[in-house]
Amino acid sequence: MNYQKQEIKQGITLHEIYTQKYKTNLSAIFLATPLKKENVTLNALLTAVLRRGSKNIPSQDLISQKLEMMYGASFDCGVEKTGDNHIIKFYLETLSEEFLPSSEDILKEAIEILTDIVFNPLIEENSFKKEYVEGEKQNLKQIIQAKIDNKAKYAYDRCIEEMFKNKPYGLYKYGYIEDLEKITPEQLYNYYKDLINNCKIDIFYSGTVNKDKLKEIIEKNENIQKLDSRKPEYVINNETTELVEQKEPKIVNESMQILQGKLVLGLNINETAENSRFMASVYNAILGGGANSKLFQNVREKQSLAYTASSRYIRAKNCIFINCGIEIQNYEKALNTIKEQLEDIKNENFTQQDIDNSKELILASVEAITEEQDTEITYYYGQELADRFVSLEEYMNKIKTVTKEQVVNLAQTVNINTIYFLKD
Amino acid sequence: MKIIESSKIKEKAYIEKLENGLNIIIIPKPHTKKKYVIWGTHFGSIDNRFIMPKTREEVFIPDGVAHFLEHKMFEQPNGTNSLDTLMALGIDANAYTTNDHTAYLFECTEHFEEGLDELMNYVQHPYFTDENVEKEKGIIGQEIKMYDDDPGWQLYMNALDCMYKENPIKIDIAGTIESINKINPDILYKCYNTFYHPSNMTMVVCGNFEPQKLLEKIKKYLEPKENQGDIKRIYTSKEEKINKSEKIVQMEVSTPIFMMGYKDVENNQESKVKKHIAIEIILNMLIGKSSKLYKELYEEGLLVTQPDFDYEFNTQYAHILISGTTKNPKKVVEKITQKAELMKQKDLCKEEFERARKKLYGDYVIEYNSVANIARMFLADSMKQINSFDYIEEFDTVTKEYTQNILKEVFKKENQILSIVEPNK
Repeated sequence: MNYQKQEIKQGITLHEIYTQKYKTNLSAIFLATPLKKENVTLNALLTAVLRRGSKNIPSQDLISQKLEMMYGASFDCGVEKTGDNHIIKFYLETLSEEFLPSSEDILKEAIEILTDIVFNPLIEENSFKKEYVEGEKQNLKQIIQAKIDNKAKYAYDRCIEEMFKNKPYGLYKYGYIEDLEKITPEQLYNYYKDLINNCKIDIFYSGTVNKDKLKEIIEKNENIQKLDSRKPEYVINNETTELVEQKEPKIVNESMQILQGKLVLGLNINETAENSRFMASVYNAILGGGANSKLFQNVREKQSLAYTASSRYIRAKNCIFINCGIEIQNYEKALNTIKEQLEDIKNENFTQQDIDNSKELILASVEAITEEQDTEITYYYGQELADRFVSLEEYMNKIKTVTKEQVVNLAQTVNINTIYFLKD
Repeated sequence: MKIIESSKIKEKAYIEKLENGLNIIIIPKPHTKKKYVIWGTHFGSIDNRFIMPKTREEVFIPDGVAHFLEHKMFEQPNGTNSLDTLMALGIDANAYTTNDHTAYLFECTEHFEEGLDELMNYVQHPYFTDENVEKEKGIIGQEIKMYDDDPGWQLYMNALDCMYKENPIKIDIAGTIESINKINPDILYKCYNTFYHPSNMTMVVCGNFEPQKLLEKIKKYLEPKENQGDIKRIYTSKEEKINKSEKIVQMEVSTPIFMMGYKDVENNQESKVKKHIAIEIILNMLIGKSSKLYKELYEEGLLVTQPDFDYEFNTQYAHILISGTTKNPKKVVEKITQKAELMKQKDLCKEEFERARKKLYGDYVIEYNSVANIARMFLADSMKQINSFDYIEEFDTVTKEYTQNILKEVFKKENQILSIVEPNK
């Protein structure tokens, strides 16, 4: 296998992926911490402030200039929700040395810049630079407000919020304006120190450089050296840990000045058996995975109700979300059609062909994981957080063994939790 | 087959023009499992008026036909749908329509040959009926409404409306609810018979292939077709001036978004790649991530992320677009305009020029990370008679002096437009 991991210090793990497929090296650092209302806004703001400059490269434009001189190396960062964890992600991509017009050791420099941004921030008088914090507070406010701009994404986020109301997963990843306004540069810096000393840290490398060289770069990196071992607090989520109590579907309607309605259904899967996720994946593919799925065929092709009609399975929360963009007055018709599809699967009203097609679709997507650098990293990180390591091969084998009976049994445990509709 | 090579990035492309006129490009990628094929016809939303080569009949079609045709190609006479057939094989299939071409594609790791057979079969066998055309109107109607609610798309369409008076590039690719209502099987067949002839098409394949063997397979699936003469496309006349300088609309957005543009004359010269590279260098120097202006606007809180920019061109149009989100669009646009004017007056800064060049070089190389990118890029470039490797190969010929001249020639204040979408009042 081209993937391996090792603990550098307790709570700090290095993951290495060796591959010949790309013209680039991709390095990443992920910081994981449990999702909490009091921390989401701090995490989002912290990410933005760190990006502004480090002790060695004290401003954003200097970072950009340095990276551009390294043949368009690029840095990116952001926050994500993975199950009940809030993940702060930093990436740095550089060209592999064989494609540089001149010979330069840019990987070492790239990892220095990356670790510098994360672990060696610009500090003034025991605080982050005030000007950066104030500026980023304004920017983050704008980002939080921009939630409404993409209507399909907004409807999906809102459905999650309603389905997981007052629970960690219902939090918005960029945080809340009322919390943002109160944050001071000192407080943010104190939070940072606490986070960096206690959070789970995962460092990823994907590319062609040889193992010994990478080892040397990591071992000699002063920013990594100075980190202490830790017993990180984070949440392990997988199909065995997530159970939502069943009740009558919650119905939420919201209005905006729009032409197309967005219908989102949140479903929970009340099945926590080990490996039930493979059945849930097949179930989801039959329901709304691709052009052969029941949703695409019935909502779109047979009834012409929508252009988009699909579903996605969120393993970390053991739930499925259905998304459709429909004519506003067709709400009842679309909802009934969706419900019929859910009943159909429960009543075994689908064919072996549907199962086979769905499996092919999943297998192809698993095969494709190693074809994109960041997708491969994300896959292994997901394994890490779920605390269940499954190789891609084993994953495919488990999908292949799913039977029709298992899918039908799983279908009995699927319930509509929330029906969210964004209309005019 | 003709082989072209880029030694800098260690890639080769095998090219063959078949007797029936079909252009085939194969780019082998030995290390990848993913295979990607894309088959495109030089028929996009701007091709709305033409003379059919056989009957010499002049046809003027409603807006949105190229895109409608793309949707309808998957349906087969035996009641099956090729999208379903491909998906059932675990093949991720899709299609899209742009201003100047329509493309059918799939990517897969397994079952490539079965997929190729199916792809080539459905693209060569149209099946349009009154019933299946009617049914599609509901689906495409929802696609149009989805774009109607998309502020970014409205911003772009309004920018084109500012730039051009009659040029069909300003027509929405999907058409409107009214225009697609006029579409019927007869119109679709006329377009299909004209534009889906091998001599008007290009196929690009990228993945772990032996090019000669693959070429033989492609030939095997091709059906004989009579040769046809050139398609005469009737375009509107060249527009030297912009249509209007500004368009502002209100929508449900949190912060205003802006798109400013410089209309260029069409870019159809020998040196179009060189010109494209120079424009991208200028844009990076003007408002790229490491530019002084971006730093200034960021620190003033006027920009949160760096603006996107692009140079779109073909034989019928060419324009630069710069877009972003800001509390104060007019101020940002004014600053960008001032900086462009200032850059024209002095020699370009050597250090900034070098930095932009290096960054751009990296960007071009990174395009070759994915089979999907490579194939799509070769197809889109081939529609403009460009060989994609030229962006790497001609890179060193773009000098500071040349770039300076392009700056003066293209970034003209009188050709500037502005589109804004602002929050509802």
